[in-house]
Amino acid sequence: MNAFDLEAAFPGFSLDAAASWTATSAALFGASGSGKSTILEAMAGLRPEVSGTVTLRGRAVHGVPPRERRVGWVPQDAALFPHMTARENVAFAARSRGGDAGVARRAIEALEIGGVLDREAPALSGGERQRVAIARAVASGADVLLLDEPLAAIDRPLRGRILPFLARLPERLGVSMLVVSHDPVEVMALATHVVFLVEGRVAAEGDPRGVFESAAALSSLHALGAENVFDVSVVARGEGTTRLLTRNGCEIEMASVPSSPDPVRVALRSEDIVLAAGPPGLVSTQNVLPGAVESVELVGPQCLVTVRAGGEAFVAKVTARAARSLGLAPGKAVTLLVKAHAIVPST
Amino acid sequence: MTSTEILTVTLLTARVSLVATAAILLPGVAVGFFLARARFRLLKPFLRTLVSLPMVLPPVAVGLLLLEALSLEAALGRAIEALAGGPVLLTWRAAAIAAAVMSFPLLVLGAEQGFASVPRRLEDVATTLGATRRRVFFRVTLPIASRGILYGLVFAFARGLGEFGATALVAGHIPGETETLSLAIYGRIREFRDADAAVFCAVSLLLAFATTFLAERFLKRERRP
Repeated sequence: MNAFDLEAAFPGFSLDAAASWTATSAALFGASGSGKSTILEAMAGLRPEVSGTVTLRGRAVHGVPPRERRVGWVPQDAALFPHMTARENVAFAARSRGGDAGVARRAIEALEIGGVLDREAPALSGGERQRVAIARAVASGADVLLLDEPLAAIDRPLRGRILPFLARLPERLGVSMLVVSHDPVEVMALATHVVFLVEGRVAAEGDPRGVFESAAALSSLHALGAENVFDVSVVARGEGTTRLLTRNGCEIEMASVPSSPDPVRVALRSEDIVLAAGPPGLVSTQNVLPGAVESVELVGPQCLVTVRAGGEAFVAKVTARAARSLGLAPGKAVTLLVKAHAIVPST
Repeated sequence: MTSTEILTVTLLTARVSLVATAAILLPGVAVGFFLARARFRLLKPFLRTLVSLPMVLPPVAVGLLLLEALSLEAALGRAIEALAGGPVLLTWRAAAIAAAVMSFPLLVLGAEQGFASVPRRLEDVATTLGATRRRVFFRVTLPIASRGILYGLVFAFARGLGEFGATALVAGHIPGETETLSLAIYGRIREFRDADAAVFCAVSLLLAFATTFLAERFLKRERRP
């Protein structure tokens, strides 16, 4: 079991949060400034100003110095040692705790960084840096990986390739993983338990889908923009695509490869949905769904537009200007366009 | 003026500056580390001011203070003589001490900047990876700070090459014994041997240029993949 019960007061922000979970993959989820990184660093023993208790794999580590907690903390920017190569970064960790060379080797294989080991840290790309940093954390013999926004510095296409690596890590390397993220799609893909934080407090905790559907999470999810999560069944597999049927009877098409397993749950970012005021004509988009606007909510300079299409409610994010020019209002008929590549399996 | 004379003065100057730089290496790095990391609000500005004094005081004033400190009437002077195994004042050793005192602030400044440039997060990461404090310092902190420390060392060495005021008071001007480049230039001008002074001036210029150029060439070079 992993758990925390932490308190701290900072100028303009206070933390009072407690959670526990037995899942090997968990996530701290919330908007910027909700206290996610503070909790992660406190769990690593790096925040002496935060009081309370931390349990890592059933071991109470209150008062235990960071070097004896057996955690692998990976900050958002990876924090590789810039004067070392990737190999030296990993070796540093393996030797610091007298770790098993086999663990380092397995981490290097699992994260597919064998080809970049002799490059100096500053010469690595964002994705390579993150993978080397994770390998370094694993090589230290860590029992628990603490990953702070591991995909934030990585562009979308690469993110899609790294996500499966991360999802498989706990099983392949026998470690627990706690990921900080403000992206529901990432959380759904990586964690089976999520702690949802709002302004330093735990607003909800549990199975990611349940948490994201809870009333407590809904308003914040609107602001974060990715509440399109659907339970699906496979209708047919085509050439590079899979036709899916949502629980509410909407047919959608997602990109897939022949070897990929059948998805049971998919996610779609609100910003990946395009709205058209009328029939769009010939387009390359696989999903063209006629529907009607149910609600329009202004969130800062953005609008969250709920559209009922094919029996399913989709939330699209558009700019306030686009909403005005399309005349979006409840009851307005619109066409919803979604690329097959924008729909991704979430677990 | 013979080439032997030029070589003797140049080698003595290099020797004085090298010994001075070597002598201040450890204390300079330690004080730089302390200034970069210590959290004492009052002690830090006091120590920084104390360290900087040789840079702002007239060098002759520093020389006078050294003269008092190194005299056999002072405990420090007796201790240093015992350590050196012979007289210090009016020897090349006194010139090295003067150069060390005058160069010390430059090394401390470089080391402080070097340590201040090390992101604390890297040390935190190293700690969570299981590294001891000693290992974190020698494998992470020191290598990253080394560029600042080397800058400090190079400029301390260059400062030592040109030291004049304090050296003249504690080491005197003994040809072949304590005559460094600065003293040689001053001595030749006093004797109206401007051409000889110009030769020593050219050697000083060459040494200073070479030192600074090497620092620029090697220390500012970015690491390439």
